[in-house]
Amino acid sequence: MAVRTIEVRERVMERNDALAGEIRATLARAGVVAFNLVSSPGSGKTSLLERTLDVVGEELDVAVVTGDVQTQNDADRLARRTARLVQAVVTGGACHLDALQVRTALEVLDLEQVRLLFVENVGNLVCPASWDLGESAKIVVFSVTEGEDKPLKYPKMFRQSRYAVLNKIDLLPHLRFDLDRAVANAREVNPELRFFFTSALTGEGLPEWCDFLREQVRGGVPV
Amino acid sequence: MHELSVALEICRIAEERLGEGDPQRLATVGLDLGDESGLEPENLRFCLETLLSAPPFGAARPVITRLPGDALRVTYLEIEDGGPDD
Repeated sequence: MAVRTIEVRERVMERNDALAGEIRATLARAGVVAFNLVSSPGSGKTSLLERTLDVVGEELDVAVVTGDVQTQNDADRLARRTARLVQAVVTGGACHLDALQVRTALEVLDLEQVRLLFVENVGNLVCPASWDLGESAKIVVFSVTEGEDKPLKYPKMFRQSRYAVLNKIDLLPHLRFDLDRAVANAREVNPELRFFFTSALTGEGLPEWCDFLREQVRGGVPV
Repeated sequence: MHELSVALEICRIAEERLGEGDPQRLATVGLDLGDESGLEPENLRFCLETLLSAPPFGAARPVITRLPGDALRVTYLEIEDGGPDD
């Protein structure tokens, strides 16, 4: 049998990235700043969002899309903190959200009534780094119970994020966690990373975090 | 961890490129895979071998070329065109 070769040279992520580009354009037209929250499971993304909704949910017209492998628990928790629709994406086994899921979730949101969108990704420090969702920026959340070397173990995620939230700082007195070393490790893989230090439990650091969100919404969508 | 999602997307690209052609005749799928792509090559190979030996495909196999960097692309498809060998 003779063999014929077809040249392809197509990036595997091409379709996702094209969809992400469409989402980015749609959000820009509607004037929505969008953050893709990424982290390992249990770092406190949902708790941070609960606190955030309490403080600036109405003020900044915040909408949320949550992603989980199973259950709508996070969406149910967040729906108690806001009158807006919280969209839950249940991936049914997939380890990340993709642009198609986010686009579908956004179809039922009135983006003209939204100024700040959070996409709470599946808790996983590996796979979500590879999927562009059309966000303005990725924000990596990690917590003081996870170890200072998380940024070195998962460099791609920290490199792809523009901001980092170090959460659960109320636990610092009870742990041997070296905060300076954690920050230095993160800056080693991404020198531009801007840090926030929060406790979603006590509210420490929340004012700085919320001021940052106000700034971002005031500044509009970065081009 | 997401090798199966990526393998499914590779199969989708292959089907799209084959167009009206018969996916049964697809013999080889050439891939470039970067060491920093976040994928485990043997896991991806297993997923592709499984998917490419089930309908609509016949018994195609992946040929993975490892590269530095984060490349992840389908480079070529080889199709048995039914003609006699020279």
